[in-house]
Order: sequence, then structure tokens, then C-alpha cells
Amino acid sequence: MTDDLIRRGLSRRGLLQTTAGLIGGTMLPAIPAFAEDQPIGSYPAGVSGSTAFIGISVPRTGTYAVQGEDELKGYQLAIEHINSGHELIKKISPKTSKGVLGKELKFGVADSAAKPNEAVQAQQRFISENKAIMITGGTSSAVAVALNKLAQREHVLFVCGISGSNDTTGKDCVRYGVRQNFFGQTAAAAIGPVMVREFGKNKKAAYLTPDYTYGHTVTKSMQDFLATAGWTTTTNQVAPLGAPDYSSYLLNVANSGADVLINVNWGHDAVLSTQQAKQFGVLDKMKLVVPYQVPFIARETGGLMQGVYAATDYWWTIEDKFPLAKMFNEAFEKKYGYKPEWGAENAYVSFAHWAHMCEQAGSFNPPDVIKAYEKGETIPSLVGDVHYRPEDHQCVRPVIIVKGKQQKDMKNKEDWYDVVEIVPGEGLMQKPDAFGCHLGDYT
Amino acid sequence: MLKQRPFLIETLTAIGLIVAPFVLPHLGFAPNTVNRILVWGLFGLGFDILFGFTGLLSFGQSAFYGTGGFVAAYLLTRTGFSNVLGALVIGMIAAAATGYLIGLIALRRTGIYFAMITVAIAEVFFFVEFNPLSDFTGGENGLPGVPTPSFNLGFTTIHFTNGWSLYQFIALCYFVGVIIALRIVRSPVGAIFSAIRDNPLRATAVGHNIHGYKLTAFVIAAAYAGFAGGLLGVLQAFMPPDAFTFDTSGQLVMQTAIGGRGTLFGPLVGATVWLFLQDFLQSALGLGAAWKLVLGVVFVLLVCFLRGGIVGGLVDLYSLMSGKRARKAAETEEAEVEAPQQAPPAPMRAKEVEHPAYSGPILKATGLTKRYGGLVANSDIDFSVNQGELRGIIGPNGAGKSTFFKMLTCEIAPTSGQIVFEGRDITGLKVTEVCQLGLTKSYQVNQLFTGLTVRQNLTIAALAELRGKFRLDLFRKLSDVKGLTEQVEHTLALVNLSRRADTPVSELAYGEKRRLEIGLALATSPRLLLLDEPLAGMSPRERVETVKLLKSIARGRTMIIIDHDMDSLFELVERVTVLQEGRVLVSGTPEEIKTNAAVQEAYLGGVHGEIAA
Amino acid sequence: MISWPNLVSQLFNGLALGALLALISSGLTIIYGTLGVLNLAHGAMFMIGGYAGFVAYQYTESFILAVIAGSLFVMLLGVVMERVIIRHFYHRPHEDQLLVTFGLGICFVELVRLIFSSQSQLVPPPALFQGITNLGFMFYPTYRLAVVGIVAVALGALFIILYRTRLGMIVRAGIEDSVMVDSLGINVYRVFMVVFGIGAMAAGFAGIVNAPVVSLTPGIGDDILVQTFVVVVIGGVGSFPGAILGGLIAGEIISVTSMFNPGYAYVMLFAAMTLVLVVRPHGLLGTKGRE
Repeated sequence: MTDDLIRRGLSRRGLLQTTAGLIGGTMLPAIPAFAEDQPIGSYPAGVSGSTAFIGISVPRTGTYAVQGEDELKGYQLAIEHINSGHELIKKISPKTSKGVLGKELKFGVADSAAKPNEAVQAQQRFISENKAIMITGGTSSAVAVALNKLAQREHVLFVCGISGSNDTTGKDCVRYGVRQNFFGQTAAAAIGPVMVREFGKNKKAAYLTPDYTYGHTVTKSMQDFLATAGWTTTTNQVAPLGAPDYSSYLLNVANSGADVLINVNWGHDAVLSTQQAKQFGVLDKMKLVVPYQVPFIARETGGLMQGVYAATDYWWTIEDKFPLAKMFNEAFEKKYGYKPEWGAENAYVSFAHWAHMCEQAGSFNPPDVIKAYEKGETIPSLVGDVHYRPEDHQCVRPVIIVKGKQQKDMKNKEDWYDVVEIVPGEGLMQKPDAFGCHLGDYT
Repeated sequence: MLKQRPFLIETLTAIGLIVAPFVLPHLGFAPNTVNRILVWGLFGLGFDILFGFTGLLSFGQSAFYGTGGFVAAYLLTRTGFSNVLGALVIGMIAAAATGYLIGLIALRRTGIYFAMITVAIAEVFFFVEFNPLSDFTGGENGLPGVPTPSFNLGFTTIHFTNGWSLYQFIALCYFVGVIIALRIVRSPVGAIFSAIRDNPLRATAVGHNIHGYKLTAFVIAAAYAGFAGGLLGVLQAFMPPDAFTFDTSGQLVMQTAIGGRGTLFGPLVGATVWLFLQDFLQSALGLGAAWKLVLGVVFVLLVCFLRGGIVGGLVDLYSLMSGKRARKAAETEEAEVEAPQQAPPAPMRAKEVEHPAYSGPILKATGLTKRYGGLVANSDIDFSVNQGELRGIIGPNGAGKSTFFKMLTCEIAPTSGQIVFEGRDITGLKVTEVCQLGLTKSYQVNQLFTGLTVRQNLTIAALAELRGKFRLDLFRKLSDVKGLTEQVEHTLALVNLSRRADTPVSELAYGEKRRLEIGLALATSPRLLLLDEPLAGMSPRERVETVKLLKSIARGRTMIIIDHDMDSLFELVERVTVLQEGRVLVSGTPEEIKTNAAVQEAYLGGVHGEIAA
Repeated sequence: MISWPNLVSQLFNGLALGALLALISSGLTIIYGTLGVLNLAHGAMFMIGGYAGFVAYQYTESFILAVIAGSLFVMLLGVVMERVIIRHFYHRPHEDQLLVTFGLGICFVELVRLIFSSQSQLVPPPALFQGITNLGFMFYPTYRLAVVGIVAVALGALFIILYRTRLGMIVRAGIEDSVMVDSLGINVYRVFMVVFGIGAMAAGFAGIVNAPVVSLTPGIGDDILVQTFVVVVIGGVGSFPGAILGGLIAGEIISVTSMFNPGYAYVMLFAAMTLVLVVRPHGLLGTKGRE
């Protein structure tokens, strides 16, 4: 009996190998004759036709759903502009005429629910079925880190969506991943001085931290920076993603004797914890700071952001200073009927940058595109000129410090914040190796 | 219908797995999706053994899926352990061990309690993964960088990388999983699993330690889950923390119910439907977030209208079409068989006596009392039965006869008093152990395994005697159990159900069910057989036959019979004990009882004369 | 680490949380006790109560009307659910009942998600209870304080229904012995329908009362469902006093553990459940009746 089984198993395995061999042979597309054009990842299979496919995974359900939908709008607008050769895209990527390298962009959208597993599943499908040439997604750094690793294994470029963790371009960085937006370190370095200026030295801070890489690293960066001004931490309340009630955490905060509450929570968690902080009298006892601004939080908390400092990637009222921002705001509002938040901005700009890099490389070949990023060329963005660091693939870009407006000062219903300061990126960045980044191989 | 040909299912599975890579791409399935379906299918094999076969609905399988997955992924990514298959097996063992510990707690309760506890367990594992153990599991980040398997065969190294290459490895795992699962469900243990699903009470009463078997099913399911969890990590190069979420358990349950429980392949079919619809609804129809609503509605409709799921539905359809022909054939056959009078079967031997030297009364109860709160059901009963005796018990309704039987078979514990069986004090033993000692009963209300055939029913009872109350012969074929076939056939002949052997219990006539009820008790070869109203509800003709049957089985064993049909009873038994209001009124020969004034009073309220039947 | 003001605050907060859990759990437990059906869609009922109240609030701007409308809507939903679907499952195995209610729960959640999106919705507390109350030892949101009172009243009402009415007698008899009720010559199915409605309403009422505390999302009922299971297992399935005791115990365990490390709150909760199962398998106030 046993012998029989083993024989079956073995003969089966042999059979399967033959099978796979046959399939492999027939499934691989005709390989171009150029010696340097070795197939890598979904290249060149993904761009052999007249289109190029992008896999997008954003949270459309769960705690980060609102921000995910906003991010998606940014992607869609960017793809529309790239395919039509919109003048805003041409400002960022001058070589773009229509599409990228003449290929029309197609895309697929999957709901990640801010869960790494869902995102990895969806992107694996986009890569294998649609031959995605580039993947994107985020809104959760856990997702971003997982997609980083997937991109590196599959050799498909990952243009990171919203991700605030230091690890994304730090200890979990990869050769095949790039990030445009600000993150824990730059947020802390930008908002920290403002806080010290505003609240003074040697203050006591309490933290609300979501329990994953984003929360941990942002809180750490804030603590490290504020410690230099003599600030101490009274309590750090670490809550799981999507916690339904923050009362226990907030009682600990309320009884901790802190002067400032630093709320690192994000998405719906940030909205809920802020509302409840108000209900428990915490906001009357201590000042609230949001180091990593959450799109729509001002609207969703119904005015609780009044007087609150926050660091962000983008706020639409900077359009007075930046003509590209004005163009973007107008295009976005025309299409979607409201002012863009930074999730949409990051989505739009990171795609525009990718288009720029592909045009510069003259090819979709991933190593070539990566090397274009790594040249560190100064390129435009909606908030002025920026560049990507070759050492960790992080975009060096300004951080905007905003302060919630009092209701009476709001000029229209979306005029939630005053722009306090636009802090240039260079001074905010850590040393490239400070967070343990090793990019890995090109192939 | 599939049982006739050995290895038919195995062969079909193998063919299916080999053909899949050629066919599925044309149907729009990417290799990755297929691999994922196989992982769910493997996960579901174990779950189906637990849920479909044993009837235990657990919402906590994610705990084991995650445990196996994270142990394997941790070994492969953090410790430098590089043997992928080895890590998967270690993960599986870890999950099985966890399953054993959890099972000890969760299986303390049954039914809905069990389901609730498993839900809670799934949640606690999720929280443990995130907090105390986040250094090992990566918390919300999971464990990225799980390698793919490669095997050094000496002359060459096979490396399973991704897509269809990895498919070979996963398909092989699934195939082995199917073979093992099939062996298990066809083993004696598998038979007992379905007995537990159909009627746990009777499975216990015929002498199986069902707690042990339930725990076995639970551990098997955990082991499958653990291995599948490890494969998930290999497949994705990333072990996601979501493996531990309640949603994972929920998805498995839904997939299994959609595909069809109790079919082994149901989960695979369910996963195919799930992943296909998810993809199709989201991308092709652009339903976005609404895809889950559609799946939910499909699921509810299936549960309402197609209990067996897709596979079950197909099997029903098949048997509906082929069954009509078969039934016609069987009917003509039956008519022919009816004619010749078969020689009466030899009396059935009773279980070997453990202490042949013992010669006292086979059963002796002293001072037996049962109180329910203030209500006294039995009070201070002294009762003794000799070897080989045929004893009748009568008494008006509410005299406490059934309670008395339940105490004798140790289904319920007496409030006070002692029961001695063959010189051994059995007070406080479990019904299972007592049955194993050779004392069992047939029930007043039929307690059959209703989802099974007559033969399967008797097989389950016979297995208890032949294998003892607990044995883990998971890979033994039923036909390899020594003496099983003989015992089952013999019992079938005794209770005159040979021609109905392969009929499902649900299709039996009432008299036949009654005979099977006795057969179930008989198949355990008891030396002392208690029969609780064996003639209840029978037609006069059936009574005559059954009395004949009882006489034939009485040879070589002791029997105690409760019945209201006194004519039949008095004809059958040597002595009669009369119970009234929970006490022994009188004992004596049928003649003495018939003329006893006290008995007449009890039955007829003081009117003198012989008791009319 | 232990600060007394914080301990007192947390104990008080545990009471508030526990009261809410007690109300939801008693809905679950009387349905189960009477009908023998464990309603896995109970968490969804809690959620729908919140949304129904939210809609009513949008139209009427009155919190009281929102509470009434929300509760009645969920009761109606419960009755319809019982009539149309659950009724056909009384004679099917427990597993099927679990599966169908589980599936219905998912349908409800996803339907609400489709209609209202995943965005959180706000129901402001009634004007009367807005603001913060200084309890001396702590500041506590006035509305949460009011919730403790409202829930206590609701539990009292349930108590009266269960212990002072004919319906309650039947329900309690059913919990003790379902066979007996069948033989009482009562139209059991009508009782079942009413009980299902009341049980669902308890969850729906809790949902709308709780809505101003947490803000609404479609997934809000999922966590609550698991917690109510723990409550019911601790208190004893089918036992109304058990649900209340279990709710309070669960609330305190969560709160007190949270003082040290909120991440362990649920771990401790489940540890307590395991302990109860080992020491008293039928729950603290449970009877052997239903299994």
C-alpha cells in the first residue's frame, strides 16, 4: 500500500515537472532579440502591446477607507492626465506626450482593507494576470512594507502610496520601492521646533500610537526629537488598528499629567480617538498635536482641529505660492468637486514622477527606471523642486506645518487650516543609513 | 456508487491536478489564484473532517492556520532554518499540539457553546499574536521574506519558484493531503466521526469514547490548518498577520458550506467560487466593495436551499438520475428474494467473560435511589439478576422504569446506592465503559445514526466491541478490522435486515428501525442486554416476529426487558419485577405476578381479577 | 504604575462598558435560551440599530425619536428575519442555524457599507447630556454617564418583561426546559417571534444609545459580538442574570487590564473565560439545561 502511494507520488511529481516545463515553454512570450533586454519581472511582457498596466491596491473598506478612496482619486486623475498629455503632467514630466513612452496606461483597483495580506494577494494577481509594470498602494505602512518585499521578489517597481513609517525607506527599504511622501522622521523634525516654540521646553507629552510600524516609528521620531528640547513622555498608549473605543487609553492619558497629547493614530482611528479625547475632557486639559496629518480629519471631527498643529505633505491653500498646486487643485476640484487632500496629492505626484523617470530612462526596464530615480535629479512637484535619494529611494521634499483655523476665520467650508510654515526637506532628513536601509539587488 | 472502485477518487484527483495547469489558464485562472485555491482546499480538508464528518462547527481555525504559518515562517526567516518542507512539518506539528491543548478546553462543551468558544479562541490568538508575541510574528507587519522550497535530489536540485512551478509543490501537498484525508474518513475512526455527527449520545452508548475521537478530529483539523498556513507563507513570500483574524475562519466556514460539507472537496470548490467571484465581481463587473455582499447573499441562499453545497447538490443530482434506475432494479430483485425461507441464523455469541470463575448474580443493585430536586424517581431499589436469566420489568407509567435502566447502564448517576456487574462495582462509571464491559441497552425512543445506512449503523456498534472504546487506527481500512464483516452480517441476519443493509436509516419502516435499534445494542455483543420497550409502537404481526427475535438472541446472554405488552412479556421472560412509584412492588414468576393482588391493585385500582393485556 | 485616581476612573469606565455589554448580551442570551438559536447576526443588529437611529436623527434632529425609531426598526428587522428565515431553521441542526445567521450578519454589514460607505457617521449626544461631568475623582463625559443610567433602565425593563409578565414566564420556562413549553399548548412560534424581536431590539437599542460614544462604522458590531460571546459564556448561556454579571465582569477586566497595558485587555478577558470554563463549565449563573 505504502509503496503504491510513494510510486504514485513520485511518478506524479515527474509528470508535473514535464507539465510545467511544457507550460513554461509555451507561456513565455517571444523574447526580444536584444541581448540587454533580459526579461525581468513583468518586463517586457507587460509592455509588449500598446498599453502598460498599473496595479493599485488601496483600502476601500475598514479603518482607512476614506483616505484610500481619496488616494485612488489622485491615481485616477494622474492616469487620465498622463494618457491625455495634460499640461500639468508636462510640467512635471516634460517628455510626456500621451501615455508613458507612448503606451497608454491601464489600471486595476483592488481593496486592500489596509491589510497586508489582501494587498499582497491583489498585487500578485495584477502582476501574474495583468503583467503589471508598476504597482502602487499603501495608506498603511504595514501594506507598504509587505508590497516592498513583494516588489523586490517579483522585480516589479513599487511606487509607494501613503506610508508614514521610517521603515518603508529605512530598515525595510528595497531597490524596487520608492516613496514620495513625508514620514515619521521628517514630520517630527518639521513639527518639533514649532511645538517647542509654541509650548516651550521641558514639557510632558502623552502619545496615542497605533500598533504597527507606522505608529511605532512616528512616535519614536517624535520622542527622540522632543527629548532634545527636554520633553518627556508620560505615557504611550499603543492601540490596535481599528480599535472601537479609546476610553481606557484616554483615561490613562487624562491621569498621566501630560501637557500635550500627540495623536499618532490615523484614518478613522484618529477621528474616533480625537472625538473621544474631547468627550473625556482630555482636550481641555492638554494641547492636541497631530504629527502625521489625516486627510478629512478636520471635517470628520467636526471642528476639533481648531488650533491644532499638524504636519502634512500638502494643503491646498499653498496654491498662492505654487502655481502647479493651483493647477492641480483646479483640475481635481473640477473632476471630483472638492479640494484635494494630501493622499490624492501624493498619489498624483508619485505617478507623475514615475512617468518622468520612465521617460528619462527611455524604457520600462525596471533597473533602468530605478537608476533614473537614483540619479537624484531635481524635479518639480506640487510643493516646489524635490529629488529622490539614491541611498534609500526616499524623496527629499518639504513638510507643511498647518494649524487648524477657528470656525469664524474660515473663508469657505474647506478652509480648515492656516499654513504655518513650509519646512524645506533637506534639513529634515536623517542620514541615509540611520534607519538601516539596504536596498538589495537590481536583479 | 464510488466505493466499488478502489482509488477512483484518488485517481480522479491526480488527473484533475495534472490537467489543471493546461485547462485553467483558458478559463482565466492565473497560477497564483490556483495555488491560493489549493491552499484553501488543503486547509479545508481538515476542517471538513471536523465539521462535515464529525459535525463540530469551529469558527476558530484561524488560530491553527496562523500558528502553523508563523512557526514555519519564523523558522525560515529568522533562524536560518532553510528546509522549507521541514519547517512546514514543524509548523504543522506545532499547530496540532496547539489544537490538542485548545481542544481540551473547547471540547468541554458541545454544540453552540463549542462554536462560541472557538470564536473567542480565534480572537485571543489574534491578540496574542499582536501583543505578547509580536517580536516573533512581526505584529501587524507580518513576516516578509519566506523562501520557496527546493529539493536536492543528489543529481539535480529542483527549485519550486512561483506560478506553475510552485503549483507542482502545492498540488503535491494537496494530493498527499487528499490521500490522507480519504484514508482517515474510510478508517474505523472516520466511521465513528460520522456516528458522532449523527448521534453523539448513541455513539457514546455503544461504547465509543467520543471525547477522544472529537479531540482527534480537532487535532487533525489543526494539523491541516497548520500545514496550509505554512504554505500560505511560502506562496506569498510573506506571512501575513491576517492569517490570524476571525475573517479567515469565517471565510473558511463559508467556503466549506458553499462548496459542500462532508465531501472533502467542498472547501476546494468553495474556494474556487469565492476567489473567482471576488475577482469577477470586483474587476469585471466593477462592483467594488459590494462584492462581499453578493457573496454573502449567495452563501445565505445556499445554506437555506442547498444544504450540501455545490458538491452535495451535484451528488444529489447524480444519484437522482442514476438512482431511479437502480431502485427499479432493486425492487424486482427483492421480489425474487422474498420467497425462500432462510434458515434461522445461529445465535450470536456474547462477549468473552473477563473472569470466567465468577458465578454470582450477573447484576446486583442495592439501595438504588435517584432524586431530581425534591422529586424521587427511584427509591431504595434492590434488584438482582442471575446469569442467563430473562427478566421482565413492568410498572405503570411514571413508575421509574426508564430512570432505573438509565442508572443501570450508567447513563445517569444514582443519588445513592450501588450497582455491581459480574462482581464488579460499576457505580459512577461512564456509559461507554459499562458498554465495553458488556452491559448495554436498546432505547425506548430510537437512537439511530440517521444519516447512515443500516450496515454503517451496525458497523459503528460492532467497532466498539472489536476495537475498544478508543483507538487511533486512522489509516486502517474498515475491511481490515478483524471479524467486523462477520459480526455485522451476523447481526443483520439476526435482526432480519440483511436485505436492507445498504438502505439509509431514513428510508426504513418503523418496525425495521425498531429492529435496528435492538441490533445496535446487539452488535456490541453484550452479556447483559437491557431492552427498553422493544415492542412499543409495533403492529401485532411485528410483535410476534420481534418476540421470536428476542428469544433467539436470549440464548447465551442475560436480558432485562421493559414492556407494556404483558402477554408477550410473560411469554418471554422467566421472572418479572414490578415497579411502582419508584419502588420494587414485587418480584416473581409470570404466574405469580398475574395473580398478585398488589399488582392488580397497582394496575387496575383495586378491581380483582386477572390482568388483562 | 498604579495611580489611584486612574484605577478609580478605569473601574468606573469598566462599569459603563460592562453595562452596555450586559444589555447586548441579554438580548443574545434570551434569544438563545428560548429559541435555541445562537444569533451570529446579533452584532449586526447592534450596528443596524446605530444606523437606523442615525437616519432617524438626520430627519428629525431629535435624539429621543432616533432611539425609538432605531429600536423599533431593529425589532421589526428581527421579527422579519425570524419569520422569513430563522423559522425554517428550528428543526435543522445547530450548525445550519449558525451558518445562516453568520451569513445574514455579513449581508447586513455589507449592505450598510454599500448604503452609507465605510466613512464614519456621527450621532451627536442629546443636548441635555452634552459636555463633561466632574465626578470629583475624575472627569467623565456626561453622555457616557447617562448611558449607564439609560442602560440600567433598559435592563430593568427587560427584567420586568422576563419576570413579571406571562411572556416572560414562558420565556424563562423555555430556557429551563424547551420540551415543556411545547407541551403547554402555547403558540410557541408566536412567542419565538416576539422573543427574537425583543432580543434584537435590545441590541439595536444598545447600538443607537452607544452611537454618540463611538461614531458609527459598518464593522462596529463585529468586535461587540465576540465580546458578548465571552460575556454569555462567563455568565452562563440562557441566563439573564448571568448576562448582567458576565457583562460587568468583562467590562471591569477590560478596563483594569487597560490601565497596565491595553494590548492585553482582550487576552485577559479570554483567559477569564477559559478559567470559568474549567472551573464552572456551565458559566457562573448557568444551568445545565441548554447545551
